[in-house]
Amino acid sequence: MKALRMERRPTRFVAAYLASALGAGRGAGVGPLRLGDGPAPQDLGATWIPVTPLLAGICGSDLATVDGRASRSFESIVSFPFVPGHEIVGIAERDGTDAKGQAFSAGTRIAIQPVLGCAARGVALCDTCSQGQVGRCGNLVHGHLRPGLQTGYCADTGGGWSEGPVMAHASQIFVVPEALSDDEAVMAEPMACALHAALRSPLSEDDTIAVIGAGTLGLGVVAAIDFLHHEHGTMKPRRVIVGARYSHQRSLAVSLGADEVVEPKQLSRAVRSATRSGSIGSSEQLTELAGGATITFDCVGSGESIAEALRITAPGGRIILVGMPAKASIDLAPLWRREIELIGAYAYGVESIQGQAVATFDLAFSFIAAKQLGALVSAHYPLERFEEALAHAGQAGSRGATKIVFESSRSFKHRKDDQ
Amino acid sequence: MIVKYTAKMGKLPFPLTKPTWPSSLPRPNPKRHVGVDFETAWARRYPARLFRAVYTDFVAGPLSKAVAPSTIVGAERLDRMDGPLIFAANHNSHADTSVLIAAIPSKFRHRLVVAAASDYFFDSTIKATTMALILGAIPIERAKVSRRSAQTAIDLANDGWSVVIYPEGGRSADGWMGEFKSGAAFVAQRSGATVIPVFIEGTSRVLPKNPIESEVAPGGSGSESQGVSRLRRHPVSILFGRPLVASADEDVRAFSSRIEEAVIELGREVATDYYQAHRTKDRSLTHGPSAGPWQRSWARPQAISVSERSLRDRWPFLRRPN
Amino acid sequence: MSPRPGFVLETDRSTPPTLMWNGESFGLQQLPTGSRIIYAPEPFDALKDPEGAIRHALEHPTGESEPLSALLSAGMKLTICFDDISLPLPPMAAPDIRQMVIEAVLDQAAIAGVDDVVLIAALALHRRMTEPELRHALGHRVYDAFAPNGQLLQHDAENPEELLFIGETAQGEEVEINKRAAESDLLIYVNINLVAMDGGHKSVATGLASYRSLRHHHNPKTMTHSKSFMHAPASALHSANWRMGKLIKDSGIKIFQIETTLNTDTFPSNFSFLQKREWEWSLRDRAAFAATSTALDLAPSKMARNILQGIKAPHALRSVYAGEVEAVHEKILEDVWAQQGVSVEGQTDIVTMGLPYISPYNVNSILNPILVACLGLGYFFNMYRGKPVVREGGVAIMFHPTKPEFHPGHHPSYIDFFEQVLTQTTDPEVMHQQFEEAFATDPWYIHLYRTGHAYHGVHPFYMWYWCSHAMEHLGRVIIVGGDPKTVRRMGFHPASTLDDALEMAKDVVGPSPSLTHLHNPPLFMADVS
Repeated sequence: MKALRMERRPTRFVAAYLASALGAGRGAGVGPLRLGDGPAPQDLGATWIPVTPLLAGICGSDLATVDGRASRSFESIVSFPFVPGHEIVGIAERDGTDAKGQAFSAGTRIAIQPVLGCAARGVALCDTCSQGQVGRCGNLVHGHLRPGLQTGYCADTGGGWSEGPVMAHASQIFVVPEALSDDEAVMAEPMACALHAALRSPLSEDDTIAVIGAGTLGLGVVAAIDFLHHEHGTMKPRRVIVGARYSHQRSLAVSLGADEVVEPKQLSRAVRSATRSGSIGSSEQLTELAGGATITFDCVGSGESIAEALRITAPGGRIILVGMPAKASIDLAPLWRREIELIGAYAYGVESIQGQAVATFDLAFSFIAAKQLGALVSAHYPLERFEEALAHAGQAGSRGATKIVFESSRSFKHRKDDQ
Repeated sequence: MIVKYTAKMGKLPFPLTKPTWPSSLPRPNPKRHVGVDFETAWARRYPARLFRAVYTDFVAGPLSKAVAPSTIVGAERLDRMDGPLIFAANHNSHADTSVLIAAIPSKFRHRLVVAAASDYFFDSTIKATTMALILGAIPIERAKVSRRSAQTAIDLANDGWSVVIYPEGGRSADGWMGEFKSGAAFVAQRSGATVIPVFIEGTSRVLPKNPIESEVAPGGSGSESQGVSRLRRHPVSILFGRPLVASADEDVRAFSSRIEEAVIELGREVATDYYQAHRTKDRSLTHGPSAGPWQRSWARPQAISVSERSLRDRWPFLRRPN
Repeated sequence: MSPRPGFVLETDRSTPPTLMWNGESFGLQQLPTGSRIIYAPEPFDALKDPEGAIRHALEHPTGESEPLSALLSAGMKLTICFDDISLPLPPMAAPDIRQMVIEAVLDQAAIAGVDDVVLIAALALHRRMTEPELRHALGHRVYDAFAPNGQLLQHDAENPEELLFIGETAQGEEVEINKRAAESDLLIYVNINLVAMDGGHKSVATGLASYRSLRHHHNPKTMTHSKSFMHAPASALHSANWRMGKLIKDSGIKIFQIETTLNTDTFPSNFSFLQKREWEWSLRDRAAFAATSTALDLAPSKMARNILQGIKAPHALRSVYAGEVEAVHEKILEDVWAQQGVSVEGQTDIVTMGLPYISPYNVNSILNPILVACLGLGYFFNMYRGKPVVREGGVAIMFHPTKPEFHPGHHPSYIDFFEQVLTQTTDPEVMHQQFEEAFATDPWYIHLYRTGHAYHGVHPFYMWYWCSHAMEHLGRVIIVGGDPKTVRRMGFHPASTLDDALEMAKDVVGPSPSLTHLHNPPLFMADVS
């Protein structure tokens, strides 16, 4: 099977770390990621369906892994060698049943929910898995699979950055609605993350929301807040202010429902003005707001963005960390003094909306259709040009792009067949 | 790494560091010698005196003359005198002492102590040491002089030391003279030393008393909370008056009034001229009008810009004969 | 040699290039042949004895008023108000005229034995003055006599306890002014009439007013109907202030108005080439120009700004009148016109102006883009009587780098105005309806105005309203050398050179347009027939 594989070669990790100092994604060429033929994942049982990927997205955590900058805490929950790629839409190669227990036939387009929970690992459901909160599963390293928090980090399942097959357990399979295009379907995983993050904290109409960063997740959060209000009757917050560095991000944010979009340097001023709060401190940049935003979504996750979030979030407010943050040194005194809650938002599971429980992925499909989020896919790359793809993904903002995806040769044939 | 090393240094054992005292044994309170109790005798020994003489003559003096170009009147009278003198001067500014010391003839200057307020100049050990060393200061109470400090001053006078005392007890708040207290008269009477009245004019413009120290509410821009006074060049006049000696049966208070009148007369001389000063008894020339605070400030003689004294004023030969 | 009057020069091929201000620098610009350049009158000579003139004026009042000495008595409540740092421009070399007048007044007050005296800086919604600025305006003697006792105040328009509601005019305009001033036995106002808009009833009715009062005439409607606000009969701003002033007078508040005019001697000797006619520049002037303009261009902007803001003008007192408000003001206006008036025949299609580094609202500060617009379209455009120098539908071409730089201490609300309001609209009426209230009542701006040195939150709006008449009158506004994004955000057009600007202008005014250049500063008023 032709695939991109991450191998455990320490010197290559160092090389990738150094190369990526020039820019995110540049570690691809020299790092432990290699393109080559190798054994396909073995059949893992009747409940597992081999899936041929059509499109597989590149995510910030993938870039960090490829650049050798992933958190040390990941070391125990990945197993080498693995094929990266956890944002997958593909064709099922066998008949089977999906996560809701409904049958589908071979040739159906499916999206894979990559978290490998208890069900996938063949162990008795833990508490969180039985509630559907598969992201919080505690059995990441147990069961008959080798350790791996998601498909795309596990040596046994394969991953999206390959010609296939990827092994998907029934509990991971969501049938893609006919009306959605492939581009829209590949956004299912990231947009599920965005939905889950937006629902992490209940929104009220008195809330002033600040969003730091307008990449895929930032834009997704903005769109999610708008979608949830219009389609599902959640409260519309008083104002949503986005700090976006690039102009294409700013126009996208406005079209997706943000009330005000400013450059990152202006975010503090915009929040101060919207909340009419005072400002403490004299330097322009580092002033802390006496009041501030009630909820801040940090979709950048660097030391500076968390520090900025601590400055602009109102005392007693919440900062929601969306997307994997970098290793950072942060002054936590403002967090303590302002009694701010710093909350992580990871993955997805089952969301409760207006008393109804719905799987995040299903909600994501209707979300993507309503907001036409397929437009966020900016470029498609074949596996052979993976260095360019990863460099492009690392510089997506400055190059006017949002989401970069790999396209398999099956996808080319698929499109040709359609025409 | 530096953090770890310094942490190790902090954990050195006795005898490399000071010992701790066992809690079961009583420990006497450490003696603190500040304020009026500060010992200044060391500052009158030869090494300290030498340092002070060099400092006064070669550092403080020239600096004083540069910042406060002074006109000195009456110093020739002092040259003819012997024995310790007690200089009783009016007090407007911290610059008074430096300016006065620079003006006193060297015969007395090198054997001089200054009575300084114990609560202001001797409140910390460093400040007390510095003042004693560079000014030759001795601590004295502002309001009522205690036996101890008065005795120190008397002993010093008997020993041949001249003393500078400010009978007002502190700097005047608005540039006009205040009430004189009787400390200087007391010391003079007991030791038999001669009192020289001195009037210093212009130092309130050189280093004004800060409004914050005066404890008044600042108006204006509200930015007077900067506690630093502005040091400005301004001409200064120092007038030495006729010597006064207490007569045998004179009351201390009567002698003190005599000294006060002498200083006031010198002050009038500055405001008008020598003859006028004798003729009038107008207190408002030295004590300001009895009116509201803005009018008292308004009536002060105007500040003179030193640059108004052009080169030609200071070097008369440059003046063209006209 | 007596000072020559201002005049209009018709340029030809022998005309040397014209001095053109460009923010914190200046250069020489060749204007197209056939352009007119309006040159200001030369400054009148200084009075020989300004202090004597002041004392004379105080004892020989104008209009129905007793001399000052008769008005002062022991035990009375006296308040002396004075113009703030917006005047004069550039700031005057010591001694400031306010210092001279107030010292004369206080000498009389001391003789009369008045104890309860308070000095108030009549800021309206401008920023508070700093200690060095107050010392400069009042002199050390006055400052040291009053500030330490809390008798020197700065008007606080946002403190309800310091304001007194006087009443409403017949047109429903609320009049609310400083309480101490209103409740005094005598209110003395020390005014500087730099331009014809200043003085008269405006001193007290605007200078000591609150937002509640000011909004009745500081709004787009009043400003568009002030054609121009420098010419009283045509100015709605003037009429509103006069109505308010009459109400104040009728309510029993006794005002002794002291108004002064200064000659337009704007630049000290080492910068004197800036107010000389170019063909009369001596070798020294040409060398000074070359050296100064190069130095300013090469210096980092902060240094250039410090150099320029440090210029102290050698303004000298020309006339001083004291007494009843309207009588004094009438006399003063004659003197202002005498010094500044230039008669101009006819209008042109285009008006050009080089904008200097300073406006009334950025003394010791930065000329941000909104103030650039106000200086050009508010002040310079409106310095006329009769008709504007440029015809209706014409084009204004201004020269200024228009960098999006703001002084965060002095102009915090301008930053928000620039980022939030101008990105949505440049129409004064729209912003008046939608945004003004929020800015005027923002508690943080009020805090900075009251305790810091910031202009009031609503002030940028007033700056924009000042341009209303010009924006309505002109067909297009072009800024040469301005930062393109900033210029576009303000609704104007950027050009890199004058030639490009003229090309752009031709789209609006047609081919071969006529052009007038305002050689300003020094100040002048165009009397257009």
